[in-house]
Amino acid sequence: MANSIEAEKRAGWALVSPPFLYTLLALAVPFIVIVGLSFAGLEGGRARVPLAPGDAEKLYFTFENFARVLSEPIYRVVLLRSLIIAVCVTLATVLMAYPIAYFVSFYVAPSKKALWIFLITIPFWTSYIIRLALWRTILGYNGIFDNFVGIFGIEPMNLLSNGALAITITLSHAFAPFAVLPIFVALEKVDRSLLEAGQDLGETRWTTFLRVTLPLSMPGVMAAVLIVFIPVVGDYVTAKLMGGSTTPMIANLVEVEMLKKRDHAMGSAVAVTAMATVAVISILFVLLNRRFIGSKK
Amino acid sequence: MTFSADKPTMIEFKDVHKYYGDYHALRGINGTIKAGEFFSLLGPSGCGKTTLLRTIAGFEDISSGVVMIDGKSMADVPANVRPTNMVFQSYAIFPHMSVEENVGFGLRRDPRSKAEKAKAVDEALEMVGLKGYGKRAAHALSGGQRQRVALARALILKPKVLLLDEPLSALDKKMREHMQVELIKLQRQVGITFILVTHDQEEALVMSDRIAVMFEGEIAQLADPETLYRRPNSKKVADFIGTMNFIPCTILSESGDKVEVDAKGLGKVALDIHQAPPAKGETPVVGLRPETLTLLYPGQSANDRETDGVIDEVIYFGDMTYYDVYLGGTDVEVRLSMRNVPGRPVLDVGTKVRVAWSPEALVLFR
Repeated sequence: MANSIEAEKRAGWALVSPPFLYTLLALAVPFIVIVGLSFAGLEGGRARVPLAPGDAEKLYFTFENFARVLSEPIYRVVLLRSLIIAVCVTLATVLMAYPIAYFVSFYVAPSKKALWIFLITIPFWTSYIIRLALWRTILGYNGIFDNFVGIFGIEPMNLLSNGALAITITLSHAFAPFAVLPIFVALEKVDRSLLEAGQDLGETRWTTFLRVTLPLSMPGVMAAVLIVFIPVVGDYVTAKLMGGSTTPMIANLVEVEMLKKRDHAMGSAVAVTAMATVAVISILFVLLNRRFIGSKK
Repeated sequence: MTFSADKPTMIEFKDVHKYYGDYHALRGINGTIKAGEFFSLLGPSGCGKTTLLRTIAGFEDISSGVVMIDGKSMADVPANVRPTNMVFQSYAIFPHMSVEENVGFGLRRDPRSKAEKAKAVDEALEMVGLKGYGKRAAHALSGGQRQRVALARALILKPKVLLLDEPLSALDKKMREHMQVELIKLQRQVGITFILVTHDQEEALVMSDRIAVMFEGEIAQLADPETLYRRPNSKKVADFIGTMNFIPCTILSESGDKVEVDAKGLGKVALDIHQAPPAKGETPVVGLRPETLTLLYPGQSANDRETDGVIDEVIYFGDMTYYDVYLGGTDVEVRLSMRNVPGRPVLDVGTKVRVAWSPEALVLFR
């Protein structure tokens, strides 16, 4: 028997090794390089990958990259803007996704639920770039939105000129399906007799929702928040196409440092700062949730 | 077991119908449930017993008819304001709350102070035997404990009627029998009307003051357990409650309060009219419970009537033995049960025996 267990172990390793190798090369190695670069200084120049021949001995450890990220206002302003946009997008997405998930879970016949979930994924069928172009058409000066409000005698608003708003609208639309799915799954797991019990014990439908359904679906809401918030902070293409040059987000700054200024050390420091900020916020969010909503697992 | 009829009415059904689309789930339910009664709705799955319970709780709208609770029509009264509370089949314990939060769930609108509410929760937990369990997480409880929490959660609100939807079906046999007794005691202690839905006829007989036997959306018989068992009003009820032997017969004469029949294997018997419930238009049979038949051992003689037979099958249960016996040289087979006591050996298949029976134990279905 020991033999077959050994064989099974080997088979297990064989199964996981390709994705493991891939993860190591595509995630862990670049991550270590970026973190390393963010703490790197080079005598008489800037640390970069690959290093010029003979530069290796001129490398030194430093906090100066981070000192610049924290002291120069541009980085703070842009990081704060990214966070605010991400919070707005997350709020809008989750608030819109919850009723949709609730409707599909509670009001759609069981045999039709899969179809509804499938329909919710339809936005993914179109390339994101095309969707961005469409939003530009909708939100731009004299675009579809302006024409629509024009019917009521409202002057063209040119929402596209407000970069942060345009970015928020576009991202909220793009991430909605990601938020619907985890909330839907959490709602599906709520035992329906609990809702009857709530009403039996004197609560109305609405107060039963607040005391029973909502707390029980919080794990799904938390998952949705994290799934939307984390990638939105680091979004690059939306800000580039919807925000123009006036409202960059943090990823756009990383691009400027990395590709335009060719300053890999500064680019890495900005990226690591953003990553650390997101990590801290996410962990705080999860902890606060445990503390106050208390999903007693 | 006896139930005094002079207690006030708690629940009244007047011609209650319920349709799910084309499906006729409740077909004209009539009847009353008295205050303080332990009442059971008994029937096979799909007979409408749970639907009827849910119409009392307010979870199902009825298609026509009236449901009255304590003299008030429940039409347009939503579940959350009805004077009823329910113990759900799944217990429906809130998994995100502790035991005391579960038990105190319904006290939110209660004007009492926090300390008084906490005391009420403690008392409710003590009543169901869960003293000191308040701080535990609900998901850490066993099935029996969950059920007690569900009971405490419902009883703390002092409802006029407690509804129990197959509350014991998820428990193992020992625990179930234990909880049956506890529920009876609890009901006597609190004096609240209990309405129990069950498909287990034994459970209904053990626990109830009165039982409504339901088939296909109708109440087939509403009576106390003893009447149901000894004088079922139809073959179907007789077959559902316990075991009954059905023996084909012909009706010889019917006059006044006597019916004379000729039962195959038993011979001519004169029955009192009380032993013959109203005719249902079926082929006539007489029914006999297994324990009303007795095997006569050598030297014993029958007090009443006696028939020859041959043992066809022996089923040994430890305290009891069941015999399947062909009666009087016919192909009529009856099952009878004998208590196993010293000096009364278990007999073998093929043994010729004498079977004693009493005409008073017979019921005629026709």
